[in-house]
Amino acid sequence: MKKTMQLTLAAATVALSAGLAHAENGDTLKAVQARGTLNCPGDIGSYLGFAEVDDKGVWKGLDIELCHAMAAAIFGDPAKSNIVPIDWAQRWPALQSGDIDIVIKASGGTRSRDTELGLQFSNSYYLGTTKVMAHKELNLASLKDADGGSICVPASTSTERQVASYLEAKGIKMEIVAIEKNEEVEAAYFSGRCDTYAQWGPVLAIAASQSDDPTAHVLLPDVLALEPEVMIVRQGDDNWVDVANWTLSALLFAEQEGITSANVDEIKANPPSAEIGKFLGATPGVGANLGLSDDWGYNVIKKVGNFSEIFERSLGQGSPYKMPREMTALWKDGGVLFPLVFD
Amino acid sequence: MTAPAGSARLRRLRKAYFGSPLSALMTLLSAAILGFILWKLLDWGLIHATFDASGTQETCAAKGGACWSVIATRWRVILFGIYPYEEQWRPALACLVVAGVIVLSCLPRMWSFGKLALTWTIGTIVFYTLMRGGILGLASVNEQQWGGLPLTLFVFVATGIIGMPLAIGLALLRRSDYPVIARVSGWIIDTIRSLPLLSILFTCAIVLPFMLPGFLIGEKLYRVVFGAALFFAAYQAEIIRGGFQGIPKGQEEAAKALGLSYWQRMGRIVLPQAFRLALPATINQFVIAFMETSLIVVVGFMELLAAGNTAFKTGEWKFAYAEVYVFIAAIYFAFVFGLSRYGAYLEARMNVGHRKD
Repeated sequence: MKKTMQLTLAAATVALSAGLAHAENGDTLKAVQARGTLNCPGDIGSYLGFAEVDDKGVWKGLDIELCHAMAAAIFGDPAKSNIVPIDWAQRWPALQSGDIDIVIKASGGTRSRDTELGLQFSNSYYLGTTKVMAHKELNLASLKDADGGSICVPASTSTERQVASYLEAKGIKMEIVAIEKNEEVEAAYFSGRCDTYAQWGPVLAIAASQSDDPTAHVLLPDVLALEPEVMIVRQGDDNWVDVANWTLSALLFAEQEGITSANVDEIKANPPSAEIGKFLGATPGVGANLGLSDDWGYNVIKKVGNFSEIFERSLGQGSPYKMPREMTALWKDGGVLFPLVFD
Repeated sequence: MTAPAGSARLRRLRKAYFGSPLSALMTLLSAAILGFILWKLLDWGLIHATFDASGTQETCAAKGGACWSVIATRWRVILFGIYPYEEQWRPALACLVVAGVIVLSCLPRMWSFGKLALTWTIGTIVFYTLMRGGILGLASVNEQQWGGLPLTLFVFVATGIIGMPLAIGLALLRRSDYPVIARVSGWIIDTIRSLPLLSILFTCAIVLPFMLPGFLIGEKLYRVVFGAALFFAAYQAEIIRGGFQGIPKGQEEAAKALGLSYWQRMGRIVLPQAFRLALPATINQFVIAFMETSLIVVVGFMELLAAGNTAFKTGEWKFAYAEVYVFIAAIYFAFVFGLSRYGAYLEARMNVGHRKD
């Protein structure tokens, strides 16, 4: 049923996007500024580490923080972001109908989303890989060793397809156990129903760290697929893509230059380089062409923090998940993320 | 004479459960299975369970049973979703208001159109003011931040309030003497019934805004409630029609012969009897409507079940989903069981003076 629903929705979205959902350059920013809030998607339920709710019903997580950063860039106040509870299937219709201004929801940039749904992407803020976890006692070096065994996958997801094609390409024969709900797939794997468990990397890492005995499981080196997660907006509004891209660049640039929410005031008072001075609004010129104030970069770092701060409190050492940065680190730390140049 | 009556009952019980060796075996077997399940549940839910809010995954696992600490720390997320924390006394009060209004209107002494209309109008205004705010110094809370129990109750009650009059209207139109009206109303009912509720909700929530003029779009919540009410009305209209068909034609003709107007005939003779006949099915329909409120999650509302999902889907409580589901099931059970007991009471009351067949 879920699948039919998604198909119907996708068809509806395509039909609608053909005519109506085209934003003109600058429209979205003006609409957001006039409304006074930035509407971002949350989740129905939650997506661990990316969008979840704390004991007081307040949203947190990597995707939510990025929305805060955008609100800080636009209004100087992260609290002006309005998180709308939205399910996966509704992301695109909600974006097209204007219920939300931007999709930041662990969503990959794909050809069909770009060309068929009429959407536009920012640079990638996270690199999600599909990986496989195995019981340590099986002594598997890679998925190849699991030939003849079984693999648990979440049913009717892109992961299921990725597993099938990876196994086919490598000539590995495994019993694929597809189960609908994430909790049930995990329960099946941990109870020993499957030898291995394929899942989107962060979900897998979180599952391992939260299991009864985290040392009893290993992540296999196989990377089944890579999906760059991006921020997604309606086609046609270049200015809005710019705002998203430069907000992301600001977070990464601040990390690269060692500017944090704690030291940003000192650095702004005494900028070590002209580039940083301009970035923090000490010298004017960085905001007007975007339709923002000159101190937008300062506001983002002061009120939300740089990319490292966001990551650590959502997924990393400051969170229950303790995930390493891996590919999602800056270029100078062995990752693939980089800021654009603030000239 | 209690003793003979008691021993008679004992004899009857023995005959029913230990009449033959086979039935004795089945009785013992079922009793053993039931006892085993009950014992397991008690062991999990009470004996080895952790109750205090300071419990964590480790301390709960050490005791081996249920981890009710998740309810103790996350109950406000389950009950109120993402409603602003400092303002959560408002949805709490709003829930009490709705519960109060429902209980009031279940009392037979309140059953007059004027009293019911007054109670519901006041109740609705109080509920909406509390939830939405924006006046009387209450901070404004957007409908998209409503969640949990008050949202579920709101959708259920609003579905009933809008759906019931719609259903009565549709049912009356369907038995109209004018074939055009009767047929059109029949088509409307059949069309709505042939669509899945999910597609109606999707259409109302997502497709309608593209087709309606701006001033008609309104808040998503009200469009969705309207869709749910329409769906409810189509089914309920057929239930009422079933009630109509159980009333002998002679009654209406006799009323006509006495010179009663259409509204007098309907209001005093036909509808009350139709409702009495249709009561079991109506209660059933209300129970289904209550359960179906959980479907609004697919168009982006954090009703009770989704709020429960949110509550356990976090790093600390990921393991405790069974406890949260049990807690939510208990809430649903309380409502639905209350509803069906009330239905049974109504049936008993309405059967006064009628022979039970």
